[in-house]
Amino acid sequence: MERNEVIIKIGGPAGSGVNSLGHILSKFLQREGLYIYSSKDYPSLIKGGHNTYTVRAESKKIESSLDHIDILIALDEKTIDLHSNELSKNGAIICDSSFKIKGKTGVHLSPIPIKQLSKKFNGKYINSITAGACLGLLQLDLTILDKILKQIFSGKSEKIIKDNILAAKLSHDYVLKNFKYNFPHKIKKIKSPLKIFLSGNEAVALASIKAGCKFISAYPMTPATSILHVMANNDQKYNIVVKQTEDELAAINMAIGASFTGVRSMTATSGGGFALMTEALGLAGISETPLVIIESQRAGPSTGLPTYTDQSDLRFVLHASQGEFPKIVLCPGDIEECYHQTFHAFNLAEKYQTPVIVMIDKTLSESYSTINYPNNNLKINRGKLLSNEQASKIKNYKRHQFTQDGISLRAIPGQKNCYHICSSYEHDETGFTSEDPINRMKMLEKRERKLEKAGKEIKGYKIHGKNSKNLVVSWGSCKTPILETQELMKNKFSLLQIICVSPFPSKEVKNILNKSKNLIIVEGNQTAQLAGIIKEKIGIDIKNKILKYDGRPFSVDYIHNELKKRLK
Amino acid sequence: MKSENYFINHKSQWCPGCGNFPILSALKKALAKLNIKNENAVVVSGIGCSGKIPHYLKTYGFEGVHGRVLPVATGVKLSNNDLTVIGCAGDGDGYGIGGNHLIHAMRRNIDITYIVHNNQIYGLTTGQVSPTTSLNFKSKTTPFGNIENPLNPLSIALSSGATFVSRGFSGRLDHLVNLIVKGIKHKGFSLIDVFQPCVSFNYLNTYDWFEKRIYDLQKTKHNTNDLFAAHKKTLEENKLPIGILYQIKKPTYDSLLPQIKKQSLVKQNISKVNINPLLKELE
Ligand SMILES: Cc1ncc(C[n+]2csc(CCOP(=O)(O)OP(=O)(O)O)c2C)c(N)n1
Repeated sequence: MERNEVIIKIGGPAGSGVNSLGHILSKFLQREGLYIYSSKDYPSLIKGGHNTYTVRAESKKIESSLDHIDILIALDEKTIDLHSNELSKNGAIICDSSFKIKGKTGVHLSPIPIKQLSKKFNGKYINSITAGACLGLLQLDLTILDKILKQIFSGKSEKIIKDNILAAKLSHDYVLKNFKYNFPHKIKKIKSPLKIFLSGNEAVALASIKAGCKFISAYPMTPATSILHVMANNDQKYNIVVKQTEDELAAINMAIGASFTGVRSMTATSGGGFALMTEALGLAGISETPLVIIESQRAGPSTGLPTYTDQSDLRFVLHASQGEFPKIVLCPGDIEECYHQTFHAFNLAEKYQTPVIVMIDKTLSESYSTINYPNNNLKINRGKLLSNEQASKIKNYKRHQFTQDGISLRAIPGQKNCYHICSSYEHDETGFTSEDPINRMKMLEKRERKLEKAGKEIKGYKIHGKNSKNLVVSWGSCKTPILETQELMKNKFSLLQIICVSPFPSKEVKNILNKSKNLIIVEGNQTAQLAGIIKEKIGIDIKNKILKYDGRPFSVDYIHNELKKRLK
Repeated sequence: MKSENYFINHKSQWCPGCGNFPILSALKKALAKLNIKNENAVVVSGIGCSGKIPHYLKTYGFEGVHGRVLPVATGVKLSNNDLTVIGCAGDGDGYGIGGNHLIHAMRRNIDITYIVHNNQIYGLTTGQVSPTTSLNFKSKTTPFGNIENPLNPLSIALSSGATFVSRGFSGRLDHLVNLIVKGIKHKGFSLIDVFQPCVSFNYLNTYDWFEKRIYDLQKTKHNTNDLFAAHKKTLEENKLPIGILYQIKKPTYDSLLPQIKKQSLVKQNISKVNINPLLKELE
């Protein structure tokens, strides 16, 4: 049976080009019209650790991984030892001819004289040679390689690109000549409009630029770091100040300073950095300063498994910082949602003048997928931010004026008549410190009203499917493997995806849960944190739990197996 | 402009005789001398007695959390470099909990005037040692005498690449006004460490104590371009120099950012950002 789909895993030591090879193959297959999902697995080491990059190509949209692979590209012998058991029947191993490998049953060994071929190029272009071999095995011609390499190697000379193509051709020819076996995965081109291939972090960064974010201050921390990279690469094109700070305390406080001054600002970190930001998070809350924070979860506690995924910061983020203040927490479930929720976050932060946290995780941050061009009609809403003209007409300005919806007019430095102090202390309407008990209650209630209003605006959940009997409840990166399982199981269940955890859509969720007979929660943590929140908010205890906390993402197979057992 | 222009009718929370009063007056006078419009000045403070200062000024003010004056002030300045940004912190706030930010703000040469109300004690929390408390000083947390060496903020500033390093004294108002004027005029980071007697909790470093020791550096032959001479001055213990120890010209951080050369961030239109070229790169 020939199938227009393939899963390729590339393995090798850190620093050996695993990622760039994966990227070339992903881009190539996408340009042939397929949908791609690519993910990385790597330890927290620069040299010496074992890295893999898995490319999954399908003729339909996908955004999750399976447990098997069809082609294993081994850049070292260790890769074969570690991963050949993941190969499907009739799968293939591509490696250098010099590798000592024992014959494996049911697997096509495809030794290629990679090192020898690279001698023509002074030992360089191993990646292109390997890519050429792999594409040969998939029976694809190399016509578009030129375009792909030009894009990936932008800035490099014509000669280098030509040599790389030549290198790929050598191994491509070699495969076509020497391997006559019938490899079941022959990729056929699909005609379709151009799509884009990007990671969750790239989606977050692009959405921030689109939303008019002008200031990002952050301290590098996996898996959030590449957000800072993308912003830095584009700072001069889009006039954004990108500040790598001395620590996360500085990062969040700078972003608050920027926002107080009237520019859209953000910071991005993981759990450890967020821990350092918690005090200032409350500062943004009490001073009613808009702020967008990206929290990309990795496996804790403390340094934990720095390059592995987890969903265990939910409670932490929800309750972060002393005292009570409104906090909006959004949890996108796929790369397109990363884009839209991040854009949305900037509007919400300014509309409600309060911090908005976008929670993602390593799986979303660092996996890539093919998506359609995002909707370009997103509108910027700056809420009650005053223009200079409006501000100049105001008398007796009160920054924290009591209003019905809790939101007050926001003036910024430079505007006449509206000088005020913004403070971390509890304050009266003008901003001056006040410890008066009545004022105190009124201020807390004013700020809380903003969250109530936000709850009416934000659609905090999505329901996928129409099965009213069996309901899977989940959030974040679990969404995509669950939806693929749903298809495999022919809609045997619906998925309730929680997108906004604060304000929590209690009424709607309660209605939905009450209508279903079998409830199952799926989460990437040990203690079922979302289930706990649901129980607290609406009193329904979801007892059937599928939990994973090994640092690895949910695969479709894993969820499928678990759900088969539970939904007989 | 007159300094009354910055007056705001708000009851002070400082003790009578507090060394913060002269700092407040000096700041108002300096702003007036420089004709800085109320709406174009932002005073950022932290937590401590010093942190109250924006409450007493008719300007924009931001009173953040303890120790984070400089990050907030940096964010303000980089977002709107047309503003005059002044940071005010206590010695605990600025040299203790926020010490890390100071080193980095100085090496970046962010264009901020940073006034440290250095009373060598934690005032607001009623009298514990601070990073600048003298050796052997008895405080609530060092009842048998302080056994830690005080840090020397001015020599740290010189080593961190600060481009304006100075010291004032609450007991010399005109001198302090002048220092703040020069600090604000200076393009780049200006540190003004101010000896600020705490009349309630610092029994040692009183107005009299300072009167006996301070002298005006600018009345000597001190060369403010000479880094080594400045370093030497920071080591004096019996006589305490006030004035500018060191000043040099260096590009400020914001002047090195092409993205705000034409227009500050806050003035830039964000309603129609086109990211299509970026999306194209991802095809
Ligand atoms: C994170 C944090 N820790 C501790 C405190 C309590 N606190 C408030 S002010 C202060 C020290 C004040 O000393 P200093 O900064 O020298 O300012 P002063 O009051 O002397 O002007 C402390 C420890 C706090 N507000 N926040």
